[in-house]
Amino acid sequence: MARAHVRDFLTRFVQPLVAGGEVHVGAPIPGTDVERWEHELSDASVELVAVDDARTQVAAMLVGRPPAFVFDADELALAAGLHNALFLVHPRAEEWSVSDRVRRKIIDTALAHVSRPLTHDLTRVIARHALLHNLFHLTRSDVTVSWWTGRARFQGQRPPARLTAWRGMRRVREDITLVDFDELLAVPDTAPVIATLLRRTPLTQLLDAHPGAPPVHWEDAVFLVRNAELARAIVYRLVPDAGPREQVAGPARLAAAFEQMLERAPDEADVRAVAAFFVHLTAVFCFGELGLREPAAKSPLISTVLSAETAGQRPRGLATLFALPAALARVDPRIATPPGLAQVPNMLARWRAHRAQAQELLGDALIDALAERLRRHLRVARAPAEDGSAAAST
Amino acid sequence: MALEHVAQGQTRFFTPGVAPDPRGIVLGRYCVMTFATLEGAVSWFRLYASEASLDELLANLAITKCRTALGSREIVVQIPAVSSYAVDRAARLCRLVGGAIYTGTAKHFVKYRDDRSPYGYDAVDIGTMPATTDFMVHGDDFAQGYVREGDLPFSRLLFRLSIRKLPGGEQLDAEARGELYLAVARGLSDGIIRYLWRNRVEAHAGLFTPGSTSAFDDHARDRGYMLIRVRALPERILALFLGTPGIDVFRPAGASAAVAVGYEHPIDLASCSTVFPADTFHVFWPSDRVDVLPGPIALSDIADLTRVDLELERPKDPKPHRGGGVDAIGVELKLAASMGPPRRVVATLIPLHHGSRLKRILFALPPVSLRGHRIATTDRGLLVIGSENLDVIPLGQLLCELTPGLLVPLGMDVVPRVSADVLARALGHQAGLVTVFTTDGRPFQVSEAAFASLERRALAKLEIEQVGLEDFAAASPAEAQIVNDAVGRFALWGFPDAPDHKLLPPGK
Repeated sequence: MARAHVRDFLTRFVQPLVAGGEVHVGAPIPGTDVERWEHELSDASVELVAVDDARTQVAAMLVGRPPAFVFDADELALAAGLHNALFLVHPRAEEWSVSDRVRRKIIDTALAHVSRPLTHDLTRVIARHALLHNLFHLTRSDVTVSWWTGRARFQGQRPPARLTAWRGMRRVREDITLVDFDELLAVPDTAPVIATLLRRTPLTQLLDAHPGAPPVHWEDAVFLVRNAELARAIVYRLVPDAGPREQVAGPARLAAAFEQMLERAPDEADVRAVAAFFVHLTAVFCFGELGLREPAAKSPLISTVLSAETAGQRPRGLATLFALPAALARVDPRIATPPGLAQVPNMLARWRAHRAQAQELLGDALIDALAERLRRHLRVARAPAEDGSAAAST
Repeated sequence: MALEHVAQGQTRFFTPGVAPDPRGIVLGRYCVMTFATLEGAVSWFRLYASEASLDELLANLAITKCRTALGSREIVVQIPAVSSYAVDRAARLCRLVGGAIYTGTAKHFVKYRDDRSPYGYDAVDIGTMPATTDFMVHGDDFAQGYVREGDLPFSRLLFRLSIRKLPGGEQLDAEARGELYLAVARGLSDGIIRYLWRNRVEAHAGLFTPGSTSAFDDHARDRGYMLIRVRALPERILALFLGTPGIDVFRPAGASAAVAVGYEHPIDLASCSTVFPADTFHVFWPSDRVDVLPGPIALSDIADLTRVDLELERPKDPKPHRGGGVDAIGVELKLAASMGPPRRVVATLIPLHHGSRLKRILFALPPVSLRGHRIATTDRGLLVIGSENLDVIPLGQLLCELTPGLLVPLGMDVVPRVSADVLARALGHQAGLVTVFTTDGRPFQVSEAAFASLERRALAKLEIEQVGLEDFAAASPAEAQIVNDAVGRFALWGFPDAPDHKLLPPGK
C-alpha cells in the first residue's frame, strides 16, 4: 500500500481545519509517519503556503501585524494528534473487531503527538491558536437513512447511492444530525488528548470555549494577558455585542478558572496579573454604558445578570468576576481600580455605580470571603512609615 | 329527619336529582318556595321583579296551591334553577318575605344553602314517599309532603292585581316625560291634536277599540278612543291633561304595556314582558280596568292629522311666470386683510433682484428643508412653491392657498368673499395652472409645467468620476466539518505502540 505523503495530510486535514471545509479523517497516524512527514515538509511548499496564509488570516483578527508563520514539526505533531483523537470517534474505530488494546495504542499515540513542550513564545502561541482555532467548532453530520425495510446510520460519511435511490418507491428518508464538540472530543477516550492539546494553546482557551472543554489553566495562560495587544483582543472577544447573559458568559468562565487557580499555589505575580485583567474587564462593562443618560444610574447589565431572582442560574465565576474589584480594594487597592479612571468623569461615575450595585446584590459576606482567599496569595507592601516603626520596635 | 352540610368538592348526594354546580353548590333543576299565603308569593314576585328580570323564570314558573298532610294549605312557587346566583337572589328574597326555599328536580326538594352551610344541604335518610303525595320538601328537622290542589297561572295573577296609587306619582321628571301615552275621548281628539301641534309637541296618534270577550258588552256603542304617543311633553301640558276629564295619561311599562300616570302595578311589568302576547298592547287603567289593544300599535304623525280647510268655490289658478336672462353684475375683486386665522404658507413670490439672496439661502439651508420645493422664474418674480411649510425662506411675498393652485398673499383674502370654487371659475383657474394674486391687484397665472425642482436649479451640474469599491473586510470563516474517510478493514493491523518518550518540561 502506498504510503501517504504529508501533502495529502496538509490538503485534506490541516488546510480545512484552519480555513474551514471538509476535514478528512482517515486511518490513525503512527509516530513513524509523523517523523517521516517532518522530512517531507520541504517537498510540500505549495500546501504549506496555503496553510500559513490561512493561519495569517486568522491571526490578523487578533493582532495588527501577524507574525510570519512557518508550519513545522511542532504544528504537524499537534495536527496529527488531533487527527488520531478524531479517529477514535470514527465508525471504523467503534467496530467489534477493534480491541481495547488497539484503541489504547491510538490514544497513547495521540497523547504522544500532542505532548509538545509548553511555550511562552508569542509567535508560537499565536501559530498554534491559528492552527486550532476551530477546535471548539468542529462538527460532523451524521445521516440516518431509513427506507421501507430498514435503516442505516452514517457518521460523517455520505450514504451510498444505492440506499438513497428510488426515494419515492422505497420511501427513503434521510435525517441529518449535527454532532459537535461534546460528542466528538469530550468523550472519555478523546478528552485526555484534547485536555493535553488545549494546554499547548492557551490563547485558544482564552478566546473560545465549550461547556464540555476543560477549564483554562491560568498559570499557563497568564503570560498572554501581560501582552497589551493580546489582552485587548481577548477582552474584545470575551465581551460580544450581544445580550447581557452572553456578554458575561466568557468572563464568568475565566473567573471560574481564576477561582480554581486560587485553590492552587500560583505565583503571586500571576495572581496579580490575572486579577488586574479582570478589573480591566469589568471596566469594559462600564465603558459600554457611557451612553446612559444618568451616569450614576443602575447598570441594566448587572441588574439582569446578578438579580436575586436569577441567583440560581448564575454561571460559575460570575459572582467572583463582579466581586473581585471590591475584594481587591480590601486587599490591595492599587490594583482594585483601572489606572487613569479618575481622568474620565463619566467612566468614574459608571465604575462607582457598578461597584455599589454589585456590592448590594452580592453582599459583603461573599466579598469578604473572596478577599480572604486573595490575602493568602497577595503580600501587601506596607507603608514606609509603618515599616520604619516596625524596624524600630524590633 | 336530618340534613347534612355539604362539603366543598362533594359530588355524591343522597337526595335524588341534585348535583353541585361549578361553584360546588348543591342545585337541582328547580327550586320550590313555600309561602303561607298568596300575599307572600306576590310580595316575592314584586321584590324579584324590581331587582331582576322575571322573564328568565317564566318559562318553567308554576304557582301551585298545595295541601299538606295535616290539611294546611300553602302556596308553592316553582322556579327553574337557572344558576346558583339567580337562586341565591330568590332565596334571599324568599326568606325576606317569610317563605322557605328548597331545591330538587322531581319529587324530593332539599333545603337550599344558607349561611350555616354555604354549599347546601343533603337529606341523608330519604324514605319512601306516600303514593298520595306529589312532592316532598326536606327541611332542617322535618320532611313535609305536599299534594297539589290547583295551579294559578302567573298571567292570571298579574292581571288580577290592582294597580296602586302612588303618592306624588303624578310629578314626572323630564326623563319620565320622555314618552307618554294619552287616551283621549273621541270628541276631544281634534282639539288635543291641534293643541299639541300648536305647542310643537312631537306626537303620533291612532284610533283604537279595546278587544272585548264579554257577551254583555254593548257592541253598538263605540268604546274606542284615540291613543296619542307624545314625546317630551312639557310639564304644564301634562298637568293640564291630568286635570282634564276625558284625557288619561299613561306611562309605558315595557314594550307591550302602559300604566296610568300616578299609579304603579305591584309587579314590575317591564321585567315580565313575555307574559303579554306579542300582538297585544295592554293598557292598565285605574279601577282595575285593563284594555287589550291590537299590537304593536301603529300610530300616525299628528302633523298630518291637523284640519285642512278647503274653499272649492274659489279656485286659485297657478299664475305662470317665464324665466329670463340674468343681468350681469360686475364686482371688482380686491384683496383685503383676512379676518380668519392665518393659513399655512405654501409659496413665496420673490422679486427678481433678490435672486442672489435666494441662492445664498439655498446653500445655507439643509437639503432636507429644500426637498420637494419647486421654482418658476417669471417676469413678475421668482415663484417658489413648497411641499410643506415654506416659511424657511424669509424672502419675497409669502403666499397661502385658497384652493389648490390659487394663491393669495399671507394675511389677505379676496373680497367679495365668494366661495373658492366660484372664484376659480371666474378666474379661469383650472388644474395645471397656478394663479397668484399680488398686492398690486394684477393676478397672474403660471403653468405647472414651468416649475422645476428647486434643488436641481440651485446646484450646478458636476462631473463625478465613478470609482471602484474594494472590500477589505475579512472573509467570514467557513465551518470546519469532519468527513470520515473509508479506511479499509485492515487499517489498524500492525499499528505500532506509542513512542515512549518523556514529556518535555514546560518552556519559559
